[in-house]
Amino acid sequence: MRNFLGHSSRRLKAAIAFPLIGLALFLLSNRVDELRVYQGANVAVFVVAIISIILLTGYSGQISLGHGALMAVGAYAAVLSQIYWHLPVILTFFVAVLAAAGFGAILGSAAGRLTGPYLAGTTLALAVGLPSLANQFGFLGGEQGLNYDVGLPPAWLGADFTQYKWFFWISGLAALIITWLSFNLLGSHYGRNWRALRSNPTAAALMGIHVGRSKVLAFTVSSGLAGLAGALLAMTISLVTPSAFPTSLSFSIVTGAVLAGVTLLTGSIVGAVVLVAIPEITGALATHLGGSEKVTSNLPGLLTSVLLIVAVLLFPNGPQAIMKRTRKSSQ
Amino acid sequence: MERLFNTILIGVSGGSIYSLMALALVLVWRSTRVVNFAQAGQAILSTYIGYEVITHTDNYWLAFPIALVAGALTGALIDILMVRTLMKRAHSGPVAGIAPVIATLGLLGLIRAIVGMIWGGDLRQFKLPVSNHGFTFGHNTIPFAPINLLIVVTTVVVMLIFSVIFQRTNLGLSLRASAYQPEIARLAGIRVDLTRTIGWAFAGAAGAVAGMLVTPTNYLSPNSLDLLLVSGFVAAVIGGLESLVGAAVGGLILGISLALVLEYISSSLAFPVAFVVLIAVLLVKPSGLIGAKRTRHA
Repeated sequence: MRNFLGHSSRRLKAAIAFPLIGLALFLLSNRVDELRVYQGANVAVFVVAIISIILLTGYSGQISLGHGALMAVGAYAAVLSQIYWHLPVILTFFVAVLAAAGFGAILGSAAGRLTGPYLAGTTLALAVGLPSLANQFGFLGGEQGLNYDVGLPPAWLGADFTQYKWFFWISGLAALIITWLSFNLLGSHYGRNWRALRSNPTAAALMGIHVGRSKVLAFTVSSGLAGLAGALLAMTISLVTPSAFPTSLSFSIVTGAVLAGVTLLTGSIVGAVVLVAIPEITGALATHLGGSEKVTSNLPGLLTSVLLIVAVLLFPNGPQAIMKRTRKSSQ
Repeated sequence: MERLFNTILIGVSGGSIYSLMALALVLVWRSTRVVNFAQAGQAILSTYIGYEVITHTDNYWLAFPIALVAGALTGALIDILMVRTLMKRAHSGPVAGIAPVIATLGLLGLIRAIVGMIWGGDLRQFKLPVSNHGFTFGHNTIPFAPINLLIVVTTVVVMLIFSVIFQRTNLGLSLRASAYQPEIARLAGIRVDLTRTIGWAFAGAAGAVAGMLVTPTNYLSPNSLDLLLVSGFVAAVIGGLESLVGAAVGGLILGISLALVLEYISSSLAFPVAFVVLIAVLLVKPSGLIGAKRTRHA
C-alpha cells in the first residue's frame, strides 16, 4: 500500500513539476540572447537522443553505436514525408518516430539475439555505412541534402519572436514530453522487465519475462526516440545531409549518456549540456592558445574522447554511483 | 569465365586485407574479450607513421617494418595504460559488460583527434611500392596487378608467422591458455597480464600491416580505415570471432562475395552487401561458419 501511494505521489509530483519546468524554460528563453537560445535547442535535441541511449543501454543493457544512423533515418523520413506527402510539420515528427522505430524493430529482431560485442559491431557498421547511402540514391539529395523547413513561428507569438526561439520551443517541448513519457515507461512493468533483464537475463527468463521480446521492444522504443532526435536536429539546421549524421554523432550521444550516468534519466540534461558546451569550451581554448586550424578543429573530438575514457575508467556506472558510495562511507 | 576468374582474384586481394583486420580484432578478443574498435585508430596512426617515413626516405620497404613496430608498441601501450585499469575497475555494476566497448570507442576518438591535430584532415596518397598495372599474359591484361600480389603474399606470410607462433612456441601456448581460461592459466604460472599485452601488441602489428597494405590503392585520411574496421569485424564474425583460421577464411569469403557483387550487380552496393552478410551470418549461424559449436557469451 505504501508502495502504491509512493508511486502515485511520484506521478503527481511529475505531473506538477514538468509543466513548471516547461514554463520556466520558456520564460527563460525570452531573457537570453539568440546564441544561447539556439544552444538551448541543441541541448533539447541531445536530451532526446541521450534518453534513447539511456533506455537502451542503462535499462535493457544493450549497446548501440549506431544511433546516429537511426537519427538519420528519422530525419530523412521526416523530410521525405514533407516533400512528397506535404504533411504538416508536427506530423513529420511522428513519421520520423515511426520510421526509425520500424527500422529499429527490424534491426532489433536481429539485435535481440546478439550480445555485447556483436551488437556493438553491427550497430557500428550501420553508423559507418548508412549515411553514405544517401549519396547513392538520387531522391535522397546526395551530399547537398534536402531542405527541411518547419516554417516561421506563428504570427500570434509576436513580431519579435525569432526563428531560433521557435526551434527552441519545439525541441524543448519535445524533450519535456519525452522525458515525462520515459519516466512513466521506466516506472511501468516494462522498465522493471528491462532492469531485470540487464542484471541477469537467466533469472529474468525464469521469472517469466520474454527476454527476446523485451529486448526488441527496448530497441524499437529507443530507435523511435533517436528518430525524433534526428528530425529535431535536422530542424535546427533546416537541412538533412549525410554529413549531419557522421559516425562521431553516434559516439557523441553514447558519450553524453555515459557522462549522464547511463542509468539516470535526469542525467540526460547534464550529458546534453556537456555535449553542447564542448565546442564552445574548445573554441574559447583555441582562441586563447591560438593553435593552428588542424589543432582547433580536432579539439572538440579530443575533449569528448578524453571525457569518455575518464568517465568509463573512473565511474563506469555513472557519477551517481560514486556519490552513493561517498554517502555510504560518510554515514 | 575469365571475367569470373579475374573478379575472384581481385576479391582475394581485397579479402586478404579484411583478414588482417579481422586477425587484429580476433587477437584482442581472445585475450581481453573486447572487440577493439580502437583498432581502426591504431592502424591509422601506424599508417601515418609509415607515411611520414615514406615522405622522408622515399622507401616503402623501410616504412613497412617501422609502421609494424609502431603498431605493436601502440597496442602494448594501450593495454598497459588503459586496459589494465579497465579490467581492475569495471567488472561489476549495470554497465560493466559494455564499459570496455565504450572505452575502446573513446580511444578511437582520441587517436583520431591526435592524428588530425598532427597531420590534418587532407587526403594523402602513398607512392605505390610496386606497379598497379595488371599482369599481362600475351595480349591480355588482367586487373590483378603486382600490388595485389604483394597484398596477398604479405597476408599469407603474416598468417603463417602467427600460426607458427601460436601452434609451435611456448609463447603461443600461454597465449592460447590465457585466452581459454585466464584463472587456470594464472595458476599454472602464466603471467596473464603480460600475455595480454603481447596479444595487444600482435594485434596492433596486424592492424598496421592492414593499413600499410590498403593505403597504396586508396588514400589516407584520419578516418580512411573506418570501413576497413567494419569489414574486418564482419570477416571476424563470419569466422566465429575466436579463431585465427576463421579470420582468414572470413576475410576471403567477404572479399570474394563483395568483388562478385560489385562486378556483376552494382558498384554502389558494397556497404549494404557487407551489412546483409553480417546480419545473415549472425541470424543463421551466430557462432560463425568456422567457430566452435557452442553458444555465444558476451
